[in-house]
Amino acid sequence: MGIAEYFASLNFMTLLKVVPGNVAQGLVWGILALGVFITYKILDFADLTVDGSFATGGAVTVMLILAGVPAPLALLAAVLAGCLAGLVTGLLHTALGIPGILASILTQIALFSVNLNIMGKANQAVSVDKYALVLSSRSNSTAILIGLVFVAVIIGLLYWYFGTEQGCAIRATGCTPSMAKAQGINISSMKLLALSLSNGLVALSGGLTAQYQGFSDINMGRGAIVIGLAAVIIGDVLHSAIMRKKQNFGVRLAFVVLGSIIYYLVIGIVLWLKMPTNDMKLFTAIIVAIFLAVPYLKERSRSSFARAAKNGGGHNA
Amino acid sequence: MLDITNVSKTFNAGTVNEKRALDSVELHLNSGDFVTVIGSNGAGKSTLLNAVAGTWPVDSGSIVIGGQDVTGLPDYKRASLLGRVFQDPMTGTAADMMIEENLALAARRGRRRGLRWQITPAEREVFHKRLQSLGLGLEDRMGIKVGLLSGGQRQALTLLMATLQNPRLLLLDEHTAALDPTTAAKVLELSDAVISENHLTALMVTHNMKDAIRHGNRLIMMNDGKIILDVSGEEKSRLTKADLLQKFSELSGSTLENDRVLLS
Amino acid sequence: MKKLICLILALTMLAALCACAGKTESSPSVQSAGSAAAGSSSAAASASAASGSSSAAASASGASSTVYHIGICQLVQHVALDAATKGFKEALTKLLGADNVVFDEQNAQGDSATCATICNQFVADNDDLILANATPALQAAASATGTIPIIGTSITDYATALNLDNYNGTTGLNISGTSDLAPLKDQAAMLEELFPDAKTVGILFCSAEPNSYYQASVIEGILGGDGITCKEYTFTDSNDVASVTTTACAESDVLYIPTDNTAASNTEVIKNIAVPAKKAIICGEEGICSGCGVATLSINYYDIGYTAGEMAYDVLTKGADIAAMPIEFAPKVTKEYNADICQTLGITVPSDYTAIAAN
Repeated sequence: MGIAEYFASLNFMTLLKVVPGNVAQGLVWGILALGVFITYKILDFADLTVDGSFATGGAVTVMLILAGVPAPLALLAAVLAGCLAGLVTGLLHTALGIPGILASILTQIALFSVNLNIMGKANQAVSVDKYALVLSSRSNSTAILIGLVFVAVIIGLLYWYFGTEQGCAIRATGCTPSMAKAQGINISSMKLLALSLSNGLVALSGGLTAQYQGFSDINMGRGAIVIGLAAVIIGDVLHSAIMRKKQNFGVRLAFVVLGSIIYYLVIGIVLWLKMPTNDMKLFTAIIVAIFLAVPYLKERSRSSFARAAKNGGGHNA
Repeated sequence: MLDITNVSKTFNAGTVNEKRALDSVELHLNSGDFVTVIGSNGAGKSTLLNAVAGTWPVDSGSIVIGGQDVTGLPDYKRASLLGRVFQDPMTGTAADMMIEENLALAARRGRRRGLRWQITPAEREVFHKRLQSLGLGLEDRMGIKVGLLSGGQRQALTLLMATLQNPRLLLLDEHTAALDPTTAAKVLELSDAVISENHLTALMVTHNMKDAIRHGNRLIMMNDGKIILDVSGEEKSRLTKADLLQKFSELSGSTLENDRVLLS
Repeated sequence: MKKLICLILALTMLAALCACAGKTESSPSVQSAGSAAAGSSSAAASASAASGSSSAAASASGASSTVYHIGICQLVQHVALDAATKGFKEALTKLLGADNVVFDEQNAQGDSATCATICNQFVADNDDLILANATPALQAAASATGTIPIIGTSITDYATALNLDNYNGTTGLNISGTSDLAPLKDQAAMLEELFPDAKTVGILFCSAEPNSYYQASVIEGILGGDGITCKEYTFTDSNDVASVTTTACAESDVLYIPTDNTAASNTEVIKNIAVPAKKAIICGEEGICSGCGVATLSINYYDIGYTAGEMAYDVLTKGADIAAMPIEFAPKVTKEYNADICQTLGITVPSDYTAIAAN
C-alpha cells in the first residue's frame, strides 16, 4: 500500500470514536496507577505485588457477582482482598526481614495459585447481559462517568488521608526513615498501612476492569506494574512541565490518572495507525518515550552546555 | 536523668571484623547536665549515643532515662523521651515535606497519630514564634519544602524539632560537623541557647576540642569503648586543648593523632 | 490551575460528545447512574447523534455493492490461530468478492486487556461483524457489543467461555462460531488402541488456559470410565514446563496433552524429556504432535476458520439469525502419527493412520 493510500485510509473520525473506550480504560487503570503511586512515590517501595493483586481483585469480584452478590459489594470485597495481599507483602518484609522487592515478588507468585483457587479455573466470564455490572465496555459513556466518579472520590480520600497525622507519618517514613523513627513513628506499621492501602486500590481497579471487559483472567495482571509505573511517570513529567512551581498534592494525583489515560490513548492511536500487529508494543514504547522526552528536550533547548558554549565560550582558553 | 550501667556492645561478634564498641560503660547524668563527648575515631562516641537512642539493642547492661528503663525498647518507642540531631543534615528532616509539616510531626512525637488533620492553626502560631527565635527567616517560609534549605538551616530546624517538646534528653551527634565554620558557630550558639533556656539535659559528641571545652558543664573523653576521662565544673572550664591531648596520651598510652581534632 | 481545569473539562466534554455521536447501544443491566447526564450532553450533539444511530443490523442490508467491514481480534501469534484467521479471510474473500470486504486485523499480543481495547475500536468503527479468535477475544467482544454479530473460532467450549446456562449448542446471543474441539471420546479411544496396557495417564497442560482444563476434565472422565487412572500435571507458564514434564514422565505410563497454547510453544522442551524417558504422548492437535507427540486426532484450524467464514457470510448476506446458529465443529478429523518419534520409541501404528508431513 502506498504512503498516500495509507494516509487516506486513516479516518480521523474513527480515532475520535475510539477515544471514549480508551478514556474509560485509562480511568479504570488510573486507579491502579494511584495505588502504584502510593508505594512507588510516597513509600519509596518497589511493590511488584500488584501483578497478583490486580488479578485477585478481578477474580474475587467476578466470582462474587456470579454467586449473586451485588456488584458494588463484590468490589468492596475485592478491595479487602487486595488489602490482605498488601499486608502479606508487608509482613514478609517487616516481620521476616525479606527485602521489599523480593517480598512483593513472593506474594505475587503465591497469588497466582490463590487466584486460580478463587476462580476454579483460569478464566471466568461475567456477562453484562446477565448481571448488573457497575460498568461495561458495552456503554463507554456510562463507563467514563462511573470511572470519573470513582477517581474523583478516591483522589479526594487520598488527598485528605495524606494530610492527616497518620498519612503524614507514612510520607515521612517513605522520605526519611531515620527522621521518622526519631519522631516516634513505627515505620513497620506505616509500611503495612501503605502497602495495604495501595493493593486495596489495585484490587479495586482489577475488579472494575474485569467488569468492564466482561471477564477475569488469571493473567490479567501480568505487566500491570509496568503500566502503573508508566502512568505515574508520565503523570509526574507532565505535572512538573505544566504546573512548574505551583505543585499541589491533589493535582499531582489527578495527573497520575491522566498519565494512565494518556497511556491508553497511545495504545488506541497505535491500533488506529494500523501498524503491523507484531510491532504494536514497539510503537507504544516509542510514543510513550516521545511523551517523556518532550519536556526534557524543551528544558534542554533553553539551557544546555551547547548553548552556554555558544553564548559565552568560543574563545580558546 | 540518664543512667548507663555496665553497658557493652560488640559488633560482628565471632568474625574477623569483631569490634568491642562499648566496654562496660558507666555514665550517670544529672538533670541539667550538658555533657560534651570527645575521643578519637572508633572510640565509641557515636556508638554511645546510638545505644542511648535505641538504634540497636545492647548486649548487656541497662539504660535508664528520666527514671524509665528503656533497655528493652526500640528507638521509635524511646523517641518520646529524646530529641536527636544527626550529623547528616539530610537525615533529621523529611526533604519532601514542608517546614511546618516537619514541625507538626515533631510536635506529635510520643502521641498516638490518628486521623486528625496534621496541623492546627494554633500550632502554626506556635511554630511561627519558635522559628522566629532561630533568627534565620524561616518563619516566613513555613510552606516551602525542606529540601530547598541549606545544611545549616536544616540542622537548625532539626534542633528546633528535637527540642519542641522539651525532651528529657537531647542527643547531638556531631551535629555541626557537616557545616561551614560560620554556620556551625551559629548552630552551636542556638544549641546553647535552647539548652540553657529550657534547662535540658544534653549529650553532645564533637570532634572539636575547643567546642568541647567551651560548651557544657561536663566533658567526657572516650577511647576503645571506655570512658577514660570525666571532668566537670571548675576543672573543665580551666582545661585547654593541650591539657586534653596530654591527658589522652597518659590515659590511653597512645597519642590522639587526628587532623580534625588537632587542627580545629 | 485554571488551565488544568479547563483541559480536563474539555477532554471530558469531548469524550462524552464522541460517545454519544458514535453509538446508541442500550445496555439494560448496566447501573446507569449517569445516563441522565449523558442524555443532556447529547443534546449538544443532536445532529451527529441522529446520523449515528444506525444500528449494525441495519447496515448489513445485503446490497451487492456493499463493502463489509470485518474486525478480526486474534489473541496471540500462534500457528493454529493464524491458520484459522487465514481460513476465515479466504472464505469471506471468495464468497463476497475481494472488493466487497475489508478486514481490520488486530493482534492482542497475548494481553487479554488489549482485547478489550481492540474490540472497542471495532465497535467504534461500527464494523459489520467481528471475528474473535480465542476465548479472551470472544469475551471482550461479547462485553463490548450486544448487537454486532460475533463469530468465534479456536474456542473449545462456548458455554464455559461465556458462562452460559442451559447450553444446547446455540448461544442465544449475538454470538456463534466454530469450535476446535476434536472429539475427546475418539482421542481417548486412540490412546487405548495404541497403548492397551497403560494403567496411568498423565495429563500435561498450562493452568492458565481454561480450554485445556475443560478438555482435561472431560477426557479424565472418559478414560476413568475405562479403568485408567488419570492425574493432572499443570505448569504455570513456559518456565516450569521442564520440571513438570519430568515429574509427569516419572509417574505415568502415557501422557496426554490437550490443545494447549503454552505446550504448543514448548514442544522441544517436552520432547527432550519425554523421548529419553521413553514416554509416549497423545496430543490434542497436529502442531503439538509434530513437535513432541506420538499420535493425534487432528482437526485442521484452517478448516474451522473457513467454516467460520461461511457462517459469517450467512449472517451478513442471508440474514441468518446468529442467535440460533449452532456452534459448528471441525468437518473432518484425521488420525495422524509422528513417524520419527514413533520409530524412536518403537511404536507400530495401525495402517489407518496418516504420517504427519514433515515441514
